[in-house]
Order: sequence, then C-alpha cells, then structure tokens
Amino acid sequence: MIDVKHLDKVFGDNHVLKDLNEHIEQGEKVVIVGPSGSGKSTFLRCLNLMEKPTSGHIVFEGKDITEAKSKEVNQIRQKMGMVFQHFNLFPHLTIKDNITLAPIKLKIMTKEEADKKAMELLKRVGLEDKADAYPAQLSGGQKQRIAIVRSLAMNPEVMLFDEPTSALDPEMVGEVLDLMKQLADEGMTMVVVTHEMGFAREVASRVMFMADGYILEQNTPEEFFGNPQNDRLKDFLSKVL
Amino acid sequence: MGNWLISAWERIEKAFLVNGRYAAYLNGFKTTLIISLFAVLLGVAVGLILAIIKYTANHVEKNIILTLLNWIANIYIGIIRGTPVYVQLLIIYFIIFAKMDTSPIVAAVLCFGINSSAYVAEIIRAGIEAVDVGQMEAGRSLGLGWGQTMISIIMPQAIKNILPALGNEFIVLIKETAIVGTIAVRDVTKAAQNVGAITYDLLPPLLITAAMYLVVVIILTKLLSIFERRLAQSDRR
Repeated sequence: MIDVKHLDKVFGDNHVLKDLNEHIEQGEKVVIVGPSGSGKSTFLRCLNLMEKPTSGHIVFEGKDITEAKSKEVNQIRQKMGMVFQHFNLFPHLTIKDNITLAPIKLKIMTKEEADKKAMELLKRVGLEDKADAYPAQLSGGQKQRIAIVRSLAMNPEVMLFDEPTSALDPEMVGEVLDLMKQLADEGMTMVVVTHEMGFAREVASRVMFMADGYILEQNTPEEFFGNPQNDRLKDFLSKVL
Repeated sequence: MGNWLISAWERIEKAFLVNGRYAAYLNGFKTTLIISLFAVLLGVAVGLILAIIKYTANHVEKNIILTLLNWIANIYIGIIRGTPVYVQLLIIYFIIFAKMDTSPIVAAVLCFGINSSAYVAEIIRAGIEAVDVGQMEAGRSLGLGWGQTMISIIMPQAIKNILPALGNEFIVLIKETAIVGTIAVRDVTKAAQNVGAITYDLLPPLLITAAMYLVVVIILTKLLSIFERRLAQSDRR
C-alpha cells in the first residue's frame, strides 16, 4: 500500500532521515517507537507529505506522490487520515462542523450526508451530545477522539497517528487508545508513532525502532519486546519498560 | 458664577449657532468622515494585498516573483511607516499632484489610504501568523488546498487577532486626518479654525470640534467591542 524508497530528509544541517526503505501492507498496524529526535515523527509526516522529503520517493497505491502535482497530493491526502499530538481541532467551529467541513468543502458529501455521517461517528464514540459544543468545551481525551472522528469522516484508507496520546493527562490516555484499538480490529491500516509500549505490544502487527534517522530493528511485538537484537533497542527498552 | 456661565454660553452660541455656523462644522465633519472612510477602505484593500504577499513569501514555497514582491512590499512599508504622514501629505498634494487639477480631498484619501495600508499590512500579517501552524496542517491533512484552508480555517481565526489592532488603526486614522487643512481641505478642524478667525474666539470652536471627534471614536469603540464579543463566541467554556 505504501512504499518508501531511499527517503532522506534534511533540516538545515540536521540530517533527520537517512536513506529509509520501507513497505507497509494494507491492514498492517505499524507502531514506530524510539527516543525523541530519532526522526519517527518526521518519517510519519513524510508519508502524507506534511514534510517534503529532501530526496527519495513515497509510493501510495502505485502512485509516486513525491512527483505528484499539488492537486493530486490533496486528493491523496483525503485517503490518508492524520491525527496530531495537539489535536488541532478548529477552535472557531462546532464539533459537528469540525467533522463535516472537509467532506462538504471537497464536495465528497452533501451537507445532509456529512451531518448524518458526523452524527453516526459521534454516536460511535459516545460524544453525540457534544455535536454543537466548541472544542474549548471538551477535555483533551474528548478532543483527540473528535480529531480521530474528523479524519474518519473522510473514509481514509490509512490512518497516521503522530504521538496521539502524548499531550493527554494520564487518565485520558485509555479512552483514546481504546478507540484506536477498535479501528485496528476493524482492519484499518495504521501507522502509529507513540510512547505507549502497552499499545504497541497489544495492537501492532509490526513494531519498528528508530534512532538517529535509521530504522534499526523491526519485528512482531512478541519478538521485538521479548528478544530484541540491537543494542540501542535493548538500552531503549530497559529505560521505558 | 452665574456671569461666568452666561458668558461661556454666549461664546459657544457665537461659535456654533449665530449665522448658522453649525453648518460649517457639519460640512467639515462630513468631509472628515468621507476622507476617513475611503482611506480606511483603500488602506485595508492595499494592506491585505501586502499582507498576503509577505505571508506567502515567508510561508509558502520560495519563488523569484514572490521574493521580489516581498522585497518591494518591505521597502514600501519601511518608507511609509518611517516618514511622517504630514510630510507624505505635502509631497502627494504639492509635488505629485502639483500639475494636475486634482481635488485635495482625493489627495487626502490617497495619502491616508497609502499611509494606513502599511500599518494594516503588518496588523493582518501578524494576525495570520499568530494562528497555530497546526491549523494549516490539520486542514491540509484532510485534503483541503492551501487556499481553502486559508479561507475556511485560518482567516476566521486570524480575524480575532486582527480586529482589535485594526480598530485602533481606524481610530488613529480618523484623528490624523485633522491635518488635511494644510492642503485646503475644509474638514471639521479647518472649519473650527475658520469660525475662530471670524469670531476672534478660538477656544469654543476647538472644543466643539474635539467633542465631534470624541463622539465618533466612542461610537466606533463600542461597535468594535460588540463585534469582538460576537467573534469570541467559540471561546466560551
């Protein structure tokens, strides 16, 4: 589904991603872990061109998106939902309008269809009573669930999560992870950058360890946590587990 | 005490009512408002264009035309903000328009519009830049284009940052137009001076004029605070 070929990213004189080659299959749940500054968020953000790769190619469903025109990139992004660490809900719009804005503006749905879809999704996450509230009135966990729902409203084929629980109070992490687990169970292709090792162990089909701009090791969660090979990974796991 | 009050009233009567002198103030006041209104419109229109040039040059992909336009915008803003509006007014009317038969009111509108645009440009640019970058990313990640995200997501939030400073700029502009008497525009300040010259009593006309400016500024302040409160609707918790 997603092919990454010789991906390099340089910020100024900071070489963040170094010749990464990766393949992500449909239905996979790839969890990326690693120390901060390892390039994992940048890698994720390159997948939907939030960051423009310095060199290399990202191929999504057979189409090289690094070569695509900006109009095509917009269309490709519709199929790649993204969830941010800081939610990035639109503070001037109600919850329902947050969800329906893109489907309506992009003429994917009529207002009625989008409203109906939004209410279905809100019911699913138990927040239908918040439809007319503004983001400022929600807790962090609720905001992040709405942000996930906002992406789902576009019927994406893959969901990218950029540290979705890092900005949350501890007691709110669970509700967001539960929703992500549901999505995983339904077969959504997911790429998740996180520090939640429990989530990686439970949900991932593959866990990836990044450090210094390289993917140093990747494996099934059992092998990854039970039998790590790379010394950097052993050191990392000894600190976080 | 009584005598003092009576003489004060007589002075005001002479400055305002005798010989229908109030008409001079009202006509002057109309001129002040017309100059201010059109200067504000011109200032916002030009300022918005300058702000968009500066914002896109700094936040969207670099290209040679944008860089050049940004360079011109910076020089324009630098010169306009770096020189007194009084000098600008003299240059526009007595030098640039010297050979043309242009109404001094048009020159005044142009001068204050151009002057205001430099300040408005910086107000709008700063207002847009104050919106969290995550908002643009969220919009783009949903597949919205840059322009769509700008119009539907960034600008509605930027307006909240822009409005208070822009309102302040309008208020400053209205008061600054008091110097247009220099190029023979009969605004409300000039009207007061003329009346004072006839009655040999300058204080009452100046107080009347000051009161007129004050009333407009108070009304404008009130309108802006109502508007701001409407925009703050989504901030309520």
